Amino acid sequence: MTALAPSIPFRRPRLVSAEVLKLRKRRGLVATAGLLTVVAILITYAILISLHAANPAHHGPAGGITNLGHTLWLLNALGSVAAILIGATAGAGDLGAGVFRELVVTGRSRSSLFAARIPGGLAVVVAFVGSAYALSAVASVAFAGSLAAPSTSLLVTGGLWVLLMTGFWFAVALGLSSFLGSRTTPIAVLLPFHLALSPILIGIAVLGSGRDALPMAAGDNLLPHAVSSVAAATKDGPGMAALTSVLVLVLGLWVVVSLAVGLWRTKTRDA
Amino acid sequence: MNANNTYVVETTALTKRFGARVAVDKVDLRIPAGSVFGYLGPNGAGKTTLIRMLLGLTSISSGSVRILGLPMPSGRAEALGRVGAIVEEPRFHRYLSGRENLHVAAAAREPEAHVRIDGALARVGLSKRADEKVSAYSLGMRQRLGVARALLGDPELLILDEPMNGLDPAGMEEFRFMIRGLVAEGRTVVLSSHLLDEVEKTADAIAIVDQGRIVVQGSIDELTGRAATVIVATADDRRAQALLAGYGAVPVDGGLRVPIADDNASAAINRLLVEAGLDVFRLEPERATLERRFLEITSRLEEAA
Repeated sequence: MTALAPSIPFRRPRLVSAEVLKLRKRRGLVATAGLLTVVAILITYAILISLHAANPAHHGPAGGITNLGHTLWLLNALGSVAAILIGATAGAGDLGAGVFRELVVTGRSRSSLFAARIPGGLAVVVAFVGSAYALSAVASVAFAGSLAAPSTSLLVTGGLWVLLMTGFWFAVALGLSSFLGSRTTPIAVLLPFHLALSPILIGIAVLGSGRDALPMAAGDNLLPHAVSSVAAATKDGPGMAALTSVLVLVLGLWVVVSLAVGLWRTKTRDA
Repeated sequence: MNANNTYVVETTALTKRFGARVAVDKVDLRIPAGSVFGYLGPNGAGKTTLIRMLLGLTSISSGSVRILGLPMPSGRAEALGRVGAIVEEPRFHRYLSGRENLHVAAAAREPEAHVRIDGALARVGLSKRADEKVSAYSLGMRQRLGVARALLGDPELLILDEPMNGLDPAGMEEFRFMIRGLVAEGRTVVLSSHLLDEVEKTADAIAIVDQGRIVVQGSIDELTGRAATVIVATADDRRAQALLAGYGAVPVDGGLRVPIADDNASAAINRLLVEAGLDVFRLEPERATLERRFLEITSRLEEAA
């Protein structure tokens, strides 16, 4: 038996790598996330390129700023669904399999077990959404044709925006699933809230600036200006103006509250 | 472990309540280092609840715990880093392979744990099937993988809750051999089990728990006691019974059962029969089995309740 110094520090990356392993080995999750991100963008550009090739007079080039805006909107909507699925799985996967107990008996703190899920899951979200956006960015430049190609600045801010929004939904789903100890309940709550209820609430003018507290409203208002008119045309409600700092605060509050309740429950639940 | 620590687990008045129900009632447990310790009790006696409290899986209502000399919960991280455990049925991510599951568990331990994965798999005989998904494993294989996971931390103390569930007779024998090997390396093994015969073959000391309380604890020899009877078989059992009438010999299948007051009585009986010209084929002390003692203790408690 080897005597190990008890003060050997635990290194975060190994635990994070384990989280990535647990997520990337779930074939169903990987296939769904791939369909919602990379495959969705490939299909979108395939259609745009085909339409332009078939009738250039009626259908403009597949690239350019306008189509970048469309794909940003699409990637935000579908990528957020993928992020919610990944977040809910990262938050409740160990509990659902009964493995959380096995990890707690190692003596590792529950806080560190919870904390490792954040970068581990985010890495998977970024891999899918980032790849899909990279395809979108390349296509928007390569197939711009007679249209103005997006600037480097716009490509970067567009990418950061879609990663911010999908990262946001990942974090909320992670916190909620860790809190509830369930994978399905947060998915059943967040998907209708994000895809159905939020657009309706944003369209109700009587709610006034209260609508700014909705993540969708805050996210839409953070969209880069060059493509925001394209995205605004695809949704029902009016655009709402608010300070960027307030919008970031709104999103930050949702994330902090979700992760805080998830951490609290992870630390207090019977394993 | 501190050399001065005689006990690897010490609890004082350890209590767990679920509302009005007391699941673990003022338990004072002392588990000696370097031994196999059996923790026995009927279903619902509070065995698993106590193990869960020792491992910090559920809160303690009152009382105190020291693991490897360290107070819980303040010394939890350091203590559990030197403990391996299986609580109830070992659970895994079924879509991962056995080896990948061990990598997940090793990530929560010190860096050296990853290096021990191959050795742990070999020790439990799973090297050849380590890269198959756990969903394809039998219950016995999952039990063995659970033991391999418990060994990743090179533990001084192993706490195994019903580890022999799902093992076939050959697997149980291998398991007993492995347990003795672990103790020979200086580790302490705590076995919680309802398989009394297996515990009796493996453990050095036991505690019997019922209705949340430890009703008796001590070495196997202390608990099963010395032989109170001997079985005697001779060439003529009828004549032997007459000769041993003063001892209260009664016929049983295969000979006579003779109560004895002490070990000298066995020698006296043998001498008496041989001097009378009877050939003695069998003179065997009849010890109380752990199962009989367990049933005596638990049925006494039921009658008293």
